Amino acid sequence: MKRSLFGRLWPNVTAVVLFIGFVFPVYWMFATAFKPTGDIISEDPVWFPTDITFEHFKRATGVDHFWTYVTNSLIVTLCAVVLALVIALAGSFALARMRFKGRRGFVIGFMLAQMAPWEVMIIAMYMIVRDASMLNSLVPLTVFYMMMILPFTILTLRGFVAAVPRELEEAAMVDGCTRAQAFRKVILPLLAPGLMSTSLFGFITAWNEFPLVLVLNKETEAQTLPLWLSSFQTAFGNDWGATMAASSLFAIPILILFVFLQRRAVSGLTAGAVKG
Amino acid sequence: MKRKLISAIGVAGMMISLAACGGDNGDGGDKAGADGYAGQTLTVWVMDGSSPDQWQKDVAAAFEKQTKAKVKFEIQQWNGIQQKLTTALSEENPPDVFEIGNTQTPAYAKTGGLADLADLKTSIGADWTESLNESSLYDGKQYAAPWYFANRVVLYNKKIWAEAGLKDTPKTRDELYADLKQIGEKTDAEPIYLPGQNWYHFVGLTIGEGAELVKKDGDSYVSNLADPKVAAAMETYKKFQALSKAPKDKDEATPQQGEVFGKGNVGAFIGMGWEAGIAIKANPKIEKEIGYFTIPGATADKPEGVFLGGSNLAVAAGSEKQELAKEFLKIALSDKYEGELAKLNGVIPNKESLQTNLKGNVVAEAAAPAAAGGGTTPLIPEWAAVENAPNPIKTYMTAVLNGKSPAEAAAQVEDEFNKRLSQQQ
Amino acid sequence: MTVQTERPPSGPVDVAKRAESGPAGPGRRAASRLGPLTPYLLLLPACAATVLLLGWPLLKDVLLSFQNLNMAQLIQHVTEWNGIDNYKEVLTGEDFWRVTLRSILFTAVNVVLIMILGALVGLLLARLGRRMRVTLMIGLVLAWAMPVVAATTVYQWLFAQRFGVVNWVLDKLGWHSMADYSWTSSQMSTFFVVTVLIVWQSIPFVAINLYAATTTIPSELYEAASLDGAGGWQSFTTVTLPFLRPFLYATTFLEVIWVFKAFVQVFTINGGGPDRLTEILPVYAYIEGVGNQHYGMGAAIAVLTILILLGLTAYYLRIVLKQEEEEV
Repeated sequence: MKRSLFGRLWPNVTAVVLFIGFVFPVYWMFATAFKPTGDIISEDPVWFPTDITFEHFKRATGVDHFWTYVTNSLIVTLCAVVLALVIALAGSFALARMRFKGRRGFVIGFMLAQMAPWEVMIIAMYMIVRDASMLNSLVPLTVFYMMMILPFTILTLRGFVAAVPRELEEAAMVDGCTRAQAFRKVILPLLAPGLMSTSLFGFITAWNEFPLVLVLNKETEAQTLPLWLSSFQTAFGNDWGATMAASSLFAIPILILFVFLQRRAVSGLTAGAVKG
Repeated sequence: MKRKLISAIGVAGMMISLAACGGDNGDGGDKAGADGYAGQTLTVWVMDGSSPDQWQKDVAAAFEKQTKAKVKFEIQQWNGIQQKLTTALSEENPPDVFEIGNTQTPAYAKTGGLADLADLKTSIGADWTESLNESSLYDGKQYAAPWYFANRVVLYNKKIWAEAGLKDTPKTRDELYADLKQIGEKTDAEPIYLPGQNWYHFVGLTIGEGAELVKKDGDSYVSNLADPKVAAAMETYKKFQALSKAPKDKDEATPQQGEVFGKGNVGAFIGMGWEAGIAIKANPKIEKEIGYFTIPGATADKPEGVFLGGSNLAVAAGSEKQELAKEFLKIALSDKYEGELAKLNGVIPNKESLQTNLKGNVVAEAAAPAAAGGGTTPLIPEWAAVENAPNPIKTYMTAVLNGKSPAEAAAQVEDEFNKRLSQQQ
Repeated sequence: MTVQTERPPSGPVDVAKRAESGPAGPGRRAASRLGPLTPYLLLLPACAATVLLLGWPLLKDVLLSFQNLNMAQLIQHVTEWNGIDNYKEVLTGEDFWRVTLRSILFTAVNVVLIMILGALVGLLLARLGRRMRVTLMIGLVLAWAMPVVAATTVYQWLFAQRFGVVNWVLDKLGWHSMADYSWTSSQMSTFFVVTVLIVWQSIPFVAINLYAATTTIPSELYEAASLDGAGGWQSFTTVTLPFLRPFLYATTFLEVIWVFKAFVQVFTINGGGPDRLTEILPVYAYIEGVGNQHYGMGAAIAVLTILILLGLTAYYLRIVLKQEEEEV
């Protein structure tokens, strides 16, 4: 089973090259954000910033209502994710564990729902919300974001629920638990990694959304971070320092959440969720 | 950082069920009470950079004093404004008063979204300059009030011009070209920042050539870009654009050319006088270096043609505060505040009698000589659709700058241009 | 901008669906004890949400597509039915078909690149030593986790005409004409940037999940294969590939959806330009509808876009339909 030197070397070399390729844009975003403007617009790129400055971050967060955007984004995103998880958990349990007429139809239905191209329906959604007098509110945003992530959440959770050995549930029921109790005490804890990894997707989606909030909420009090980030293109022009600082701030919560949850998600996956 | 963030999320999560997922629309009653308009707030949309903070503050104070109501100015970006305005006008709480570009006014007048301001015209508009009021009229009705007008000038960096050994400002197009060339040769600076899609300047050049952008074809309008006069204007643009390192496929607002100029390494740019404010905001040190001169024309006796840009103030037909909105207009457009705006921004006011405010204003003095020969885009409702991104005129400009002949470029965008002009209303 | 342009976190996707085909007995017993309505009750919230929040806008969109809805009608809340005029105009115009073809090609190129490169990276992960694997995983996860809006902004900076690092590198590599190159100046270069961005962000999802899937392949299968005298390539085609097939189908399906709807990337990088040459269907619908304030027309294009997406994924949906049938 011994491999030649070349055979052992090339995967590592490729991995290093790939690593650089994948990390560089992220690195460059942070590096630019911390560099003084003179280093950003220099004829030869400054690869490793030596003078660290927080000036760009100050500029990016100094915008009026910055904290309103942050709060709104957090509220909308968390509400949407939690709602979606609760609704999806019930649905996915039925789809994974029960046999009933029309089950196939439900699965296909959610797959179709997953394909919905939301950005082309913006005007229809706008008119509905407008006619319901709910513009400039976080409620329609929350429920629409919830809907955007619901189908994926259901279909993914279904896989995780199915991966929990049926025997565990049965054993609990033999011990006198009702099915609901068995679910809460046995299945739910085992589903934790699944719930986390699924919620990540929802978190990213809701965190990123901007065409809908752009048309629904014209009042700054009800706007979210993506609008703040996209406004940098016009407000700050080619001030790449401030733009990258803003991008970094926008990306950091997701990056942290991802690195934190990803490990569990993959371990949950490898623990037997995938049984081709 | 990680732990802190997670706990922050936890706290926010707990709050969800209590506080979140809620929002309300603010304003309560909108009716004019017996006690003046106390307790009401008027929302006014103004475009980014068009009215100085000082003016807004003064007008707000005067308005509050007279009506007991408050006014809230909301700053809007030109980019995407039509889409935003259209939806806003259809809503329950539209902005009560808003600034609207003169080229876009006829289209909105036709939609029924603008309130009829006939009585305002009678009470305060008798001496509005007729040519400036033209865009506010549609079907003989007054749908907006003329606010201010302006045309572009050359803003230049005195230090760089001195460095290049230039003493006088140019009087003809060729002199301007020679001066800019000299800057390119003698300094490290970029002679002029002229992005490929500064289409208002291009419209000015076509006006200088006496060209029309559209022509009548039966009942409808069609593209006239194939006109050799339009091509001549484009050739002029191209010649100057070649001196700039600015992108050929961007307009003057992405990035804001004032901001680029503010960095201090650009000899000149063609823009509105108030764009100097953007440069100064980006780099306060540049203030004393900024100079202005009229865009020179082909000959010394006639300045370049310019686009006479301007804005009107309109009242939303759907606003519940019609009377209060008109009160606001009476104050904002009064001689005092209209004069103040002219003075602060160096823009042309809506009455000739107020032009004395421009005396001694360097921007206005640079702009004035060209204004007489200025013009606008066609003042027809069909025009607004042309300005929606992607604007076919911008496409035409970029195509020529990238090497197509003007005739080819005109042919390329003609379909799109005509489609927009004939777009069903 | 919306959901599915995002990279989701690793989920078992639909690969896991066979896991449930175990003994159906207990499930059936339990369900009958709780009454046959239980599954429907459990699905009720999800279905209600879907009907209300997706079905309604969809229906509204279909209704709008039969209306003449422009600035005036929107502002005055007027409904002006105009039959199938919008569809007639869209379908008889050249633009729509050109954009459709472009969309399909764009999706195909991206998905093929993503699947091939993603699978290769996934297999590489399986071959690496532990430390190297963790390192590469971290890199992949960072790229994957970048929010699209931020990633798009960063790519604009990487490919910026002036001071952009890509142009600098190309110049130093001897490609001097690229020193001041504007990547947004032509159709192909704009698509190039968009494709690099999308592929960069999508590979991690495929690679990490594929790697996770390969770790679950029982090693006995390989042993059996090598006993049969299979070489490396043969055991790959006879063991690995069949084992991963459902996973590959499901992932391709998701990637088709995501790439087809990659609105944010295309719209933000160059607004569908230059000269409307990089508009894909969702961007085209947006520009014609919202941008040109021709909302009825935009709605018609939206409906057609949905139909085309359905067509593109029909093959996969049929497979799923069959599969579920076998299980019930």
